[in-house]
Amino acid sequence: MRQEIKSIGIDIGTSTTQLVFSRLVIENVAGSYTVPRVSIVEKEVIYRSKIYFTPLRSASEIDADKIKEIVRSEYQAAGMKPEDLSTGAVIITGETARKKNANEVLEALSDMAGDFVVATAGPDLESVLAARGAGTDAISEENRTTVANLDIGGGTTNIAVYEKGAMKGTCCLDIGGRLIKVENGKISYIFHKIEKLAANHGIRIAVGDRADPEILMKICRIMADELAIALRLVQADDEHRSLYTNDGKMMREDIGIKAVTYSGGVADCIYQEDDSDLFRYGDIGVLLGKAVRENPTISGLKLYQAKETIRATVVGAGTHSTDVSGSTIRYDKSRLPLKNVPVLKISEDDETDFESFSQAIATQLPLFYTEGRMEQVAIAFSGRGWTGFQQIQKLASAIIKGAREVIESSYPLIVVAECDIGKALGNALNIQLDFKKPVICIDGIRAAGGDYIDIGEPLAGGTVVPVVNKTLVFNS
Amino acid sequence: MESKDLRTVIEEVLKEMNLKPGAEAADSVSTAVKEAVRVPGGSGCQLVIPGKGVSLDPSYIEEGELPDITEIDLRTQYLVENPVNKEAYAEQKAAAPCRLGIGKAGARYKTLPQLEFRAAHSAAQDAVFNDVDEEFIESQGLFIVQTQCDSKDTYLTRPDLGRKLSPEAVETIKAKCKKNPTVQIYVADGLSSAAVAANIPDLLPAIMQGLQSYHIETGTPFFVKYGRVAVEDEVSELVGADVVCTLIGERPGLITATSMSAYIAYKATVGMPEARRTVVSNIHSAGTNPAEAGAHIAEIIKIMLEKKASGTDLKL
Repeated sequence: MRQEIKSIGIDIGTSTTQLVFSRLVIENVAGSYTVPRVSIVEKEVIYRSKIYFTPLRSASEIDADKIKEIVRSEYQAAGMKPEDLSTGAVIITGETARKKNANEVLEALSDMAGDFVVATAGPDLESVLAARGAGTDAISEENRTTVANLDIGGGTTNIAVYEKGAMKGTCCLDIGGRLIKVENGKISYIFHKIEKLAANHGIRIAVGDRADPEILMKICRIMADELAIALRLVQADDEHRSLYTNDGKMMREDIGIKAVTYSGGVADCIYQEDDSDLFRYGDIGVLLGKAVRENPTISGLKLYQAKETIRATVVGAGTHSTDVSGSTIRYDKSRLPLKNVPVLKISEDDETDFESFSQAIATQLPLFYTEGRMEQVAIAFSGRGWTGFQQIQKLASAIIKGAREVIESSYPLIVVAECDIGKALGNALNIQLDFKKPVICIDGIRAAGGDYIDIGEPLAGGTVVPVVNKTLVFNS
Repeated sequence: MESKDLRTVIEEVLKEMNLKPGAEAADSVSTAVKEAVRVPGGSGCQLVIPGKGVSLDPSYIEEGELPDITEIDLRTQYLVENPVNKEAYAEQKAAAPCRLGIGKAGARYKTLPQLEFRAAHSAAQDAVFNDVDEEFIESQGLFIVQTQCDSKDTYLTRPDLGRKLSPEAVETIKAKCKKNPTVQIYVADGLSSAAVAANIPDLLPAIMQGLQSYHIETGTPFFVKYGRVAVEDEVSELVGADVVCTLIGERPGLITATSMSAYIAYKATVGMPEARRTVVSNIHSAGTNPAEAGAHIAEIIKIMLEKKASGTDLKL
């Protein structure tokens, strides 16, 4: 049982737009005489698009029609059709995510990106996808150490830290190579936060000034210092906090970073020393790369070569956004695929007895109403400690009791467990509901409250379903 | 402590000290016993064996229980002294319950790993030689029949007899079981009685519920004592089942003694090739969770009925 699926990744970033097609191989890795264990055993990028400057309609709007054109021409060049694709992700990253018409862009692409494609952005997910595309997770696992990937793009720097293969934290700052642009030897654009950052260090610059490499280098050194603070190598000052995007948080203080990898557009300017034409990209990317490379604190860390640099995020989106569920699950096939299902999480505390389990579902359900109406929701929990047959029966009763509203609605009952109980629990739910309600009961997936998940059509002869967790990919 | 018991204890001690039984030793014992009995159970009561330099303190009896060494998790046990990188070794050990990184005393095992090894070996032997508690079997709603083996010894030495039902068993099954069921499930002790006790309460009802959820009819389940896998062929012929499924204790190892397997066959007949059986193995608390395995087995049976094949003829 070996199946190949194709996946697409589209990254619409602040400065560049890219697309990759990947091949994922899923296979049963368990022996012949045991219960199957299907996992993704191979991930390979089979087509990389050209790197386009992100087409903009105005300073704050993406040109959706031009994006659509780019994607269409790349499909043609790759010889790929939307129906060939089983999974993937479109992400609008960086500064662009704050652009007004993100939804319009995603809509324009939806008919071209296959039947099962995510449309999402979010700084945490971006950081994780970039790091996985850069191979930071594998590097940290192989070398048994703690590695941070700094995805330094045009508008933002997305940081994700991996310790021995496990994700430990993410953050995202407004530091990037195109936050100051240069045209014909003059400064043509300054991002307000950077203007303020420079001013606080007594450097005044304005649009129209001559692009003085020395002054701009000073600013880049300050930006690099801020990255060192974000990595928790240096004590933070009051100003630092304002540099996080979407009021994001700092990484925890004892994160213990030992090594770094770089990805994003600026990464190549860090790895390769080439100061021949400082403004060859029309921005401060080359200077910022030099400043990071020469930063006395960061250069004290071990440096690893990233597997992907400028393409890390798109490769991450194309190959690392999909997981597969556990291999013994129960689902009503007619209700798949499911897209954008918000997660109702039962906390570990509420899982300790069945009464509070029911309560937790019932009290949280109204939070998922939209305009007073019930919405589709996935009930997620660990299931640890409830793996015996009798306990599973009681768990099923508790779910049915708490989710009465879901059961009375037209939506299927969607249950996501971490522990390997999906099939037994699905059977119990079906029997207790007298087969009158479509049930999707999967396991092997850890989802957190506030996450959104997609559950795709069954793979590997119906053994597993692909799952994309759109907020954070925590599953190992 | 009674003086008689005390005498036995002291004699044991002396024997271990290689004291030849003789008048002197007997005297010593008598003296010691008298001494000890004088203040029974009193603290500070000393056992002194004159001329031997022996001084025993019988009050040194610890209350409570010895720690159960079978409770030690092999994945986390690490006994190497002065390790170069304990953390890295521990990470590797966490992946599998192997007896690695357990240190050494000269060329030999340390006492604790040696005892653990013997405890695991004993558990394995117990799993084979003990019988499944009959009350437990009845509590699972099963009646008991036996193969042509009359004892564990016969069972272990005569595999052929473990594959045939006794004449009484044939009569009981004929009388008590539903005829021509779609699926006949039964439990057998096989080589691990411990596996039956550990897994059946979760595994059997999970299979039954799974089959019910697929609307597949099942026969009357029962228990076969001294049963080997192939007795399922005779069972299948006897009740006229489309699919027969035996849940049987696996040969125990030193990691677990409670592993169970399911051997499932479509239209099994006596003398059919072994290749016609489909197996689901490694069902135990640290392997495949029994309740989830039961749900999986139910689905395999469903597929088997659809495809009318089992074993190597059935691609799952």
